[in-house]
Amino acid sequence: MKHSIFNAVRKGTLFLVALMGFSIVSTAQDYYVYVTAESEDEVALIKFDGKNATVEETIPVGIWPAEIEGPHGINISPDGKYWYLSLAHGNPYGTLYKFSTETNEVVDTVRLGLFPASLQVSKATGLLYCVNFDLHGDMVPSTVSVVDPEEMIEIHRIETGVMPHGSRISSDGLYHYSVGMMSGELFEISTTKLKVTRKLNLDGKEEEPAMGGMDHSKMDHSKMGRSMMTESATMYHSATKPTWAIPHPTNGKVYVAGNGSDEIIEVDLEKWEVTNRFKTGKAPYNCDVTPDGKYLVATYKGSGETGIWDLNKGKELPRIKNTRKVTHGVTISPDSKYAFISVEGIGGEPGTMDVIDIKNAKKVSSVDMGKQAGGIIFWKME
Amino acid sequence: MKNIFLFAFSMMLTVVLAQAQDLKLKVSPEKASMKIGQSLQLEAAVVDASGNKISDREFIFYSRNSRALDVVDTTGFAKAIKHGEHEVIVISPGSPQLRSSILVNVEPAAISKIAFGDVPAKVYTGINIPLTLDVTDEAGFERPEVPITLTTSDETKVAIAPFNKLIVKNAGTVTITASAGGKSENLKLEVIENPIAEIRLKSNMVEGRSGDVFTLTAMAVDKDGNEVKDAPIRYSFTGESFDVSAAPSGLITPEGKFVADEPGLYVLNATCGPAAASVTVQANNRNITRKIDLVGKGSVNNKHTSDLWIWEGIDGKDYAVTGTWGADGTAYFWDVTNPAGIELVDSVKVDARTVNDVKVSEDGKVAVISREGASNRKNGLVIIDVSNPRDAKIISEFSENLTGGVHNVFIYKNHVYALSAGRKYYSINIEDPKNPKIVGEFELDTPGHAIHDVWVHDGIAYSSNWTDGVQLVDVGNGIAGGTPSNPVQFASYAYPSGSNHAAFPYKDEKTGKFYVILGDEEFPYGLDPSGKKPSRAAGFLHVIDFTDLKNPKEVAWFQVPFAGSHNFWIEDNILYAAFYNGGVRVVDISGELLGDLNRQGREIAWIVPEDPDGFVPNAPFTWGAQPHKGHIFYSDWNSGLWSAKLQPVVPENAKIDSSK
Repeated sequence: MKHSIFNAVRKGTLFLVALMGFSIVSTAQDYYVYVTAESEDEVALIKFDGKNATVEETIPVGIWPAEIEGPHGINISPDGKYWYLSLAHGNPYGTLYKFSTETNEVVDTVRLGLFPASLQVSKATGLLYCVNFDLHGDMVPSTVSVVDPEEMIEIHRIETGVMPHGSRISSDGLYHYSVGMMSGELFEISTTKLKVTRKLNLDGKEEEPAMGGMDHSKMDHSKMGRSMMTESATMYHSATKPTWAIPHPTNGKVYVAGNGSDEIIEVDLEKWEVTNRFKTGKAPYNCDVTPDGKYLVATYKGSGETGIWDLNKGKELPRIKNTRKVTHGVTISPDSKYAFISVEGIGGEPGTMDVIDIKNAKKVSSVDMGKQAGGIIFWKME
Repeated sequence: MKNIFLFAFSMMLTVVLAQAQDLKLKVSPEKASMKIGQSLQLEAAVVDASGNKISDREFIFYSRNSRALDVVDTTGFAKAIKHGEHEVIVISPGSPQLRSSILVNVEPAAISKIAFGDVPAKVYTGINIPLTLDVTDEAGFERPEVPITLTTSDETKVAIAPFNKLIVKNAGTVTITASAGGKSENLKLEVIENPIAEIRLKSNMVEGRSGDVFTLTAMAVDKDGNEVKDAPIRYSFTGESFDVSAAPSGLITPEGKFVADEPGLYVLNATCGPAAASVTVQANNRNITRKIDLVGKGSVNNKHTSDLWIWEGIDGKDYAVTGTWGADGTAYFWDVTNPAGIELVDSVKVDARTVNDVKVSEDGKVAVISREGASNRKNGLVIIDVSNPRDAKIISEFSENLTGGVHNVFIYKNHVYALSAGRKYYSINIEDPKNPKIVGEFELDTPGHAIHDVWVHDGIAYSSNWTDGVQLVDVGNGIAGGTPSNPVQFASYAYPSGSNHAAFPYKDEKTGKFYVILGDEEFPYGLDPSGKKPSRAAGFLHVIDFTDLKNPKEVAWFQVPFAGSHNFWIEDNILYAAFYNGGVRVVDISGELLGDLNRQGREIAWIVPEDPDGFVPNAPFTWGAQPHKGHIFYSDWNSGLWSAKLQPVVPENAKIDSSK
């Protein structure tokens, strides 16, 4: 029955969407979220019952017990039956894992590119799009892998920018947005045509990235590789250093976390230009928009805080201090009530997931998990 | 009110589903046959129940084997590259999302060539010749699946045996014909009477021990006593084990080197057609087992321990540094002067989750530790002043080009060799340890190259590069003109499993042989389902004879079943190898090495660190071992630092306590 409901939603019938929301809200009690522990090689399944968050299950991931494989990006299939996880480290290529949400056991795997990170399945194509962050490569453009999750075959790679990161797909499933962290670009990929349809330089430059305007002051990742040592003329490190892109469900805008410039950048999809810049806390990293479109929630990695923005007013609600330092990811419940925030912590500290009441801008619960909590995705309400 | 909503919802859902179910994705053709090089436009359409085409649908095509059948993703334009049955998946995005597939049979190209491997122009009667045959088609693909039929022009002279073998019987000229896929190829053989009247066979020794290499010298001579230099001599052996419960076993190489696994009497044969000779040799019990005693322990039971390094401090005392894994970025410093009373004297905590590797400079003044999982993701390495290990002080942190994480490091002559995110290593000058400076780097250019470890000895860096095997790089030795700022690769060896994880060079002064021992790291059995116990590892040590740098050859191996190799050390003809689940294995590697070293009884001793109070209790997972001033120090993932003592060699004829 639930599967049928989701099929109906895909028809795009607004009436059905509203009805489904009503139905869920009227019965939902528990919220389930998957969170990766990047320095523990495990994934925590966390339940929040409206008051308390608890780790329901810890799932060890990877195959190398004596090497950290780095679970990074995580997402749920549109029908909720599977979760997908990118394990970033490999020899050298990373791997995409497909798990069953029913058993939390591995269903299948496929090797992707260098350091695969954020990922999502398009409900339009049924294909999965995963950025290859290439954290440990030279400063050259990397790719977005396109995978058929039914067959777990990588069917295509689409070249984008340097260190592609922070990707999300539009609510109709037709466009994939990601950023080139070091090239300072926003990319739009047509999920059906499998190619970049538009790109936008977020550093405010019209020309292709070049030597001029280099700004290393905000750089978090050092220059890398042979080419960086010998071909400095080609170096470019974005001052904006975008780390995430989230399309709004209805207002025709994409919001980008400017990790280097401490801002959320609003991009109008029709004009394909920056239409607003919201000054944020230090080093915004990930962001998400509530399904009702009212709020944007951003993680401030540098200050260990979470920011909530009222998008209608363009104003930030009081910031919420997270439980630990190094705030990482965010996912929001379908009822737009709660934001679930992964917080990495430092060194031997456990990772933490904070639950934030969005409307009241308050942390309402918190639970510790494995070290370096990172990738986070909402699974279900029941 | 709620009931009205539910009714409306149900009605709407019924209509939506009915419409959705009526739509079908039709592909054309449903099945296709193509020839290599041919192109074909695949078509797809979404139709309703009446067969009417829905106009606004898009399509994505992909081949399940794009290397054999290339399909452009959105146009469905297919090009056949390689023969076989291939499936093209067709997806129509939207609502409902529809899928279908097209089966494409790409016909194999005609066979164009059958090639015989090298066969001597003249062959002697009485011998067997194994043939190698390669079949290639017109598209350039090798076709090993195509059956080959061999025929002979004269069966009385050369007969055909199964598995493409020729039995050479009588002199004369014979044509062997290989036929496959309608193509034939001839091989002309000139069979001449076997001139060999006698094989004179010698062994370099008649009595040795299991694991010792007996080198045979065989000379074929004709009836006049003249040497027949091109005689194809084959070697074999039979044997009798001294132990009735053990089968005789060993290895004999095509070059005539024999090694016995089991002590016993062995008959070594050399044959060439009807001529044969044999020598009998005796392999005695190697009898090298020694007692090993646990001496001390520096317990770390609140986190995992990684690598270790033992050194003599500038105060003449002995110290150890150990790293930690998946924890809080701590490195521990120990006074191990008294191995029975290992004393924790200091620790350094850095921003990291894993300090995977620790190394100390030759002068004992500077330590380098690696960082992974730093909260700022800069990782890199940390240089520490250990001139007083009781007060270890951080001198500097260095992360340039190392932000992806440093897994392993080595210090050699004021340079740190540091891995960068498993792709390459940098040489970093630390003459001024406050200001480290990258001066060079080494990276392979093979597709998908990766690196796990680097070890430097005598100016040569030995990097372990997984599928690319070990790379020998001159970083100051002079053999290839390399320097730290200009590393020059001059030799390499890779083996099929692609599991090369560590390497250690070893020169046997007695034989002049130069070996590099390569260690695997493998976890084929996956993670422990509970997530609490260590996994069972696999993999072993490969002994590569690098005496001829241009032609390295894998000659021997050391394996501990179901244990899995990790780090190891060699000193004075003894190998100290950590096997994850098998503790420390002490192995005699004296003399020439050939075959299965463990089965030959070369293992001197073993000791397993089992600790009921360990981080994971009683779960040995041994990381590395290092001999130092007569003791063996070893680190274990679950229990910390240990020391053991290998007892002196037992005099011959003394009773061996096999209980160890």
